[in-house]
Amino acid sequence: MNRPSLAPPTRPPFWRNATFLKWAAQIGVLFGVVALGYVLIGEAAANMRAQGLSLDWDLLTDPPGIQLGEGIFVKPDTGMEAFYTGAVNMLRVAMSGILAATVIGAVVGIARLSSNWLASRLATAFVETVRNIPVLVQVVFWFFLSSILFPVLQEGSSGPIPGLLLVSRKGISFAWPFPQETFWQWGVFLVVGLLTARWAYRTRMRRAEEMGEETRPLTWALLIFLAWAIVGWFAHPLAGAVGWLFGLLAAQVGAIPVLVYQVMLALAALYLAWRWIHRFLESRRSPAGLAKLTDDDYFRMILAGVLGTGGAAVLLLWPGITELGANVFQALLEFCDQKFDFLRTGAPLAIGQPSVEVPGRFAQIADTGMTMTPSFFGIWMGVTLYTSSFIAEIVRGGVLSVPKGQTEAGYALGLRRGQLLRMVILPQAFRVILPPLGNQYLNLSKNTSLGIAVAFPEMVQVGQTMFNQTGDTIQVILLWMGFYLTISLLISLLINYYNRRAQLVER
Amino acid sequence: MMENGADNPIIVCENVKKWFGDFQALRGVTTSVAEGEVVVVIGPSGSGKSTFIRCINRLEQHQEGRIVVGGTELTSDVRNIERIRSEVGMVFQQFNLFPHLTVLHNITLAQVWVRKRTRSEAEERALELLERVGIPEQAHKYPGQLSGGQQQRVAIARSLAMDPKIMLFDEPTSALDPEMIVEVLEVMRELAKTGMTIVAVTHEMGFAREVANRIVLFDEGQIIEEGPPSEFFTNPRHPRTKLFLQQILSH
Ligand SMILES: Nc1ncnc2c1ncn2[C@@H]1O[C@H](COP(=O)(O)OP(=O)(O)OP(=O)(O)O)[C@@H](O)[C@H]1O
Ligand SMILES: [Mg+2]
Repeated sequence: MNRPSLAPPTRPPFWRNATFLKWAAQIGVLFGVVALGYVLIGEAAANMRAQGLSLDWDLLTDPPGIQLGEGIFVKPDTGMEAFYTGAVNMLRVAMSGILAATVIGAVVGIARLSSNWLASRLATAFVETVRNIPVLVQVVFWFFLSSILFPVLQEGSSGPIPGLLLVSRKGISFAWPFPQETFWQWGVFLVVGLLTARWAYRTRMRRAEEMGEETRPLTWALLIFLAWAIVGWFAHPLAGAVGWLFGLLAAQVGAIPVLVYQVMLALAALYLAWRWIHRFLESRRSPAGLAKLTDDDYFRMILAGVLGTGGAAVLLLWPGITELGANVFQALLEFCDQKFDFLRTGAPLAIGQPSVEVPGRFAQIADTGMTMTPSFFGIWMGVTLYTSSFIAEIVRGGVLSVPKGQTEAGYALGLRRGQLLRMVILPQAFRVILPPLGNQYLNLSKNTSLGIAVAFPEMVQVGQTMFNQTGDTIQVILLWMGFYLTISLLISLLINYYNRRAQLVER
Repeated sequence: MMENGADNPIIVCENVKKWFGDFQALRGVTTSVAEGEVVVVIGPSGSGKSTFIRCINRLEQHQEGRIVVGGTELTSDVRNIERIRSEVGMVFQQFNLFPHLTVLHNITLAQVWVRKRTRSEAEERALELLERVGIPEQAHKYPGQLSGGQQQRVAIARSLAMDPKIMLFDEPTSALDPEMIVEVLEVMRELAKTGMTIVAVTHEMGFAREVANRIVLFDEGQIIEEGPPSEFFTNPRHPRTKLFLQQILSH
């Protein structure tokens, strides 16, 4: 064969080189953003100084002179305590709300798909009502409903279920177990139980897949965990040995010179970078050999290298960072040490009795059961039900997105309904459900800020009370943004992680 | 009835009727299929071909008449349905592979959970079948990474892995390009040679003429003519058959 010969490839000048241009653009944007931020912050600081405003953070350490409706510190001594109380209150609503909204949403979504006429009608009615009313209205609705519908608290009233559940206009309270001083010792048994249960689950699951038997992995895991929990309930003083171990470690940590830690950490940083690059190259390697690396691939590898060596350099140059880390670590070990003692006996949990006398405190402090104040009830019901109606639609859409042919193929192979759902339908529905589900979690978290409408002391309400007192508006706004950004990013990270694991391999 | 395979029937249908709402898709279908027989079902679009073969493994439920497969009657008894489904394999027009599982896993899944084989047995069988359908090197890919013809061959292997006595095909080549049609028909031809009982809806007349023992023509939910290909193509009795053959052979 006679092929026309090609001229050898010529390198274009750098201003026409696509690789160079791409990198230059990235670095250019980075510099641009940093410069813009620098100018804006400088300008803002100058203007504030001119108006006599200051950007100091005294509000975090000064006594705020405010009272909060409920939470860990009802009369906070410092601004820090106030914000901490608000943050914890917000997280209480967000986490329990996310959990409940997911469960309700999944049940309602599946009910809408069911062939049971009544169930599907009820589910439809729920979704259409709840998602079409503004969430703020719903929050206020539940708040007022609890104060109209529930009975006035009377002397000595303990109903409707004495000792377990108390419902009144001052709140709903139910009996709840709270950790005692021996809880940590019991916790050691729980952790061991969890690990063995996980191991058992995996072995039984593998056996099920290899042999095609029903091996009930979940039942096994649960029983094993329960066995550890029960044994631990009585044998927990034995875990005092763990405390002794912590004490020993704490002493050792303090004895080693900082330089040793610095070198170790720096080496670890370098090793991590090296391992990342190594794994990255491995993932680009197919049986046919190393795939051609793109500019992006090189960029990522160089970035990993720079971060690794940069981290190592910082650790070596500033011993203070390492020293602080070591001190914190030592303090943590000592803290753990104090939680264990051979001689400490007694039940790890105590049941708090329902009471609304001291509204909404955590029972470790007030020694009562778990209490929902009308404010908590309002914000919690509002955001939970609202979000659950969207989740129901997402779940329904996810299940419907799996083509009917999948069900038919499964049945034609002789799979049972349950097997079909578990192994064919749900795994495929899940990857459609996950991304919008994450959005709903984010929405719910941010909607907790509506708590201010029913005087629930979450982050926004606390912040507003604070700047009414101190006038430090800018600081409070910065704190808010930092807080919500952190929470949202954490949720996003988690969802993205699962999302990446669930993606389909396509051509 | 003459060429009805009455001597050793593995599928018997008696006056099968099926309605979708008030639309009657099957208007009394009576036929039987002998063990090892290859039956090709043809007919105009909407005539009830798919509905008929989907009734054989209960993907659709008939409302009147009787269907007996391998001596077990299809009733609403779940045990009967399970037994019949485990003896009858089905291949669909749209392949319907499980996109989230590798080719190998697609083929082993039901072997492990329904046939209760160990994973290694199932994998061995899967690789053997992939060899047989000509794509052993694709075992660890995902369905989305295969061509249509390869996917359909995996689907056939997946059904065969259950060691069915009967294979149903519903237009297995209709979603494929011409070169791929050839490779799938080749696999089906091989399968027919092994003595498998096959009921196939297809408009591949070459295949029908060469491989089928009997051709069945559906129209408006009824069988209007059936017979061995030699007679069916050269000497159709029913005027509707003549018309249909003209239409289909003209392009
Ligand atoms: N699930 C269903 N609901 C309502 N009607 C249906 C359903 N399935 C099929 N039908 C109707 O039943 C009739 C027969 O359909 P069927 O799919 O069996 O035809 P077919 O012979 O396979 O046609 P084609 O060659 O187009 O695949 C058609 O008129 C169709 O509209
Ligand atoms: Mg059809």
